Amino acid sequence: MENLRVLVVDDEADFLETVVMRLQRRKIDAHGVDSGKKALEIVENERFDVVVLDVLMPGLDGIETLKLLKQKKPFIEVIILTGHGSVESGLQGMQFGAFDYIMKPADLDELLEKIQQAYERKRLHEERHGLSGE
Amino acid sequence: MASKTELPLNTLQPYISAILIVLAALLLGFTNGPWYFAAGLIPALVSFLGTRELLGKVRKANEQKCFLDEQLIQSQKLAAIGELSSGIAHEINNPLAIIGQESEWVTHLLQSDELRDFKQVNELTDSLREITRQVKRCKEITHRLLNFARKMETLLQRVDVNRLIEDMTKWVERETKQHNIHIVRRFQKDLPQVVTDAPLLRQVILNLLANAAYAIQKDGDITLTTRLADHGQVEIIVTDTGSGISKENLSKIFNPFFTTKPPGKGTGLGLSICHRIIDKLGGHISVTSEPGHGTTFMIRLPQKGEV
Amino acid sequence: MSSVPRLLLVDDEERFRTTLSKLLGVRGIPVAAVGSGEEALAELRSKPYDVILLDVRMPGMNGIEVLAEIKKINPALEVIILTGHASVDAAADIMKLGGYDYLLKPCTVDELMDKIDGAHERKLAREKRKEKASAPQVIAGEGGKPR
Repeated sequence: MENLRVLVVDDEADFLETVVMRLQRRKIDAHGVDSGKKALEIVENERFDVVVLDVLMPGLDGIETLKLLKQKKPFIEVIILTGHGSVESGLQGMQFGAFDYIMKPADLDELLEKIQQAYERKRLHEERHGLSGE
Repeated sequence: MASKTELPLNTLQPYISAILIVLAALLLGFTNGPWYFAAGLIPALVSFLGTRELLGKVRKANEQKCFLDEQLIQSQKLAAIGELSSGIAHEINNPLAIIGQESEWVTHLLQSDELRDFKQVNELTDSLREITRQVKRCKEITHRLLNFARKMETLLQRVDVNRLIEDMTKWVERETKQHNIHIVRRFQKDLPQVVTDAPLLRQVILNLLANAAYAIQKDGDITLTTRLADHGQVEIIVTDTGSGISKENLSKIFNPFFTTKPPGKGTGLGLSICHRIIDKLGGHISVTSEPGHGTTFMIRLPQKGEV
Repeated sequence: MSSVPRLLLVDDEERFRTTLSKLLGVRGIPVAAVGSGEEALAELRSKPYDVILLDVRMPGMNGIEVLAEIKKINPALEVIILTGHASVDAAADIMKLGGYDYLLKPCTVDELMDKIDGAHERKLAREKRKEKASAPQVIAGEGGKPR
């Protein structure tokens, strides 16, 4: 998974730091931002493959961020993160294009597996549209 | 569907052939002795068993064909509705855009200094805000329609079905526990991986689980079964002990915009999208129900992606 | 290179063009509007523009075809596609052809302004980089290093 770049988006500072650090320790090029707005800005300028997104955030909430993310960058795969999502938000998330979801506290191995599958899907998707690699 | 007149003949066929052969054996026995009669019974038995098996296969193939025909008809129906609604949605977005813009322009004009003392400026501005809000609402509706109708792109990956279902179940379980709804897993161990589109399948499972939970409301069970069926297909069964679906509604259950929920509580697109997805994945989805007792959805997926 | 983007609006609905031009006008953005892809290309060949708002569904050339042609005429022009619906296919096409972004109709003027500003910024940034790259290098005492 060289070249894989992961963006974690969560307004909970402690959680964000922990996840990014643990991913980096597993040799993943991971970065974190604490709001949906920042996430949308950063993906505009830097390439990311998988975004791990908290669905319940103040300000630009998770579902809105997901919608805009899939619009601006349709090839980025999003994994929804939630501490206590309702079934409704889960359905919405899937409907608006989330790849998968994981519950907090996130088991690192499980998260890594999902990130890997999401990345695989991104590659397949780009290949199909003739956009292999960047 | 096998017509009512065919069936009796089909069921009698093996018996008729066997009886004829036994009669011939009897004749042979009378003329040539008991051994010839015994020997004559062998072809009778073979004929009886063989014909019965053959007819059984024919009947099964017929059933399968009807099942597929229904699936095909439903898919064609959905495709036609999809195309129609997509055209309409696209058409509506243009006048909506103009309405939105005109109200933004009027809002701007109301902000001019000349109108500062005009008493009803606030009310007018408020009305315009409402128009903008409703335009946004229409936009969401048309976009949902267009989402439903668009070309569904599938990306195939190897998926552990039990794992996928378990993931979606864990999500739903948080809420169902609160309503005393139990989810029972009956997953076949070592179920082979399926090559399919994971997020699309997740949507389907989540949808079925949400529907099951809604049907039960509180105090009940949802049973999830997975198993390997014939022809290497993987079977997923979602059964609930909810209110069930009436016979008239059962035939409409996969229609878009068909919903038994009160207005505003559901678009009615869920199951039609599920049908589209499963169809696109090369599988089949069917439903049976007993009003007052519960409903069962059955999905079959090929192991190797869409046909 | 102005700090206010010069906008060309391409949409086949006349009322949409006139009202949007007024709305952008009061925000200080000069807007020229045409009703078809063919007219847009003619306009682009004769006058300078920065950002183009392009409707995707028009009789004659559709938005994607026009986008491809625009990039041939002047790749520096930023194009925003206005569409009734976004599919991944369309989004991928837009990105591949060098479009800046797309917006779903109906949209508010604020949403439009955000995209227009973003597109204009990108154009200015690219022009700045080009200037830096082609500026003669003057390093005192060492003689200019050829580029």
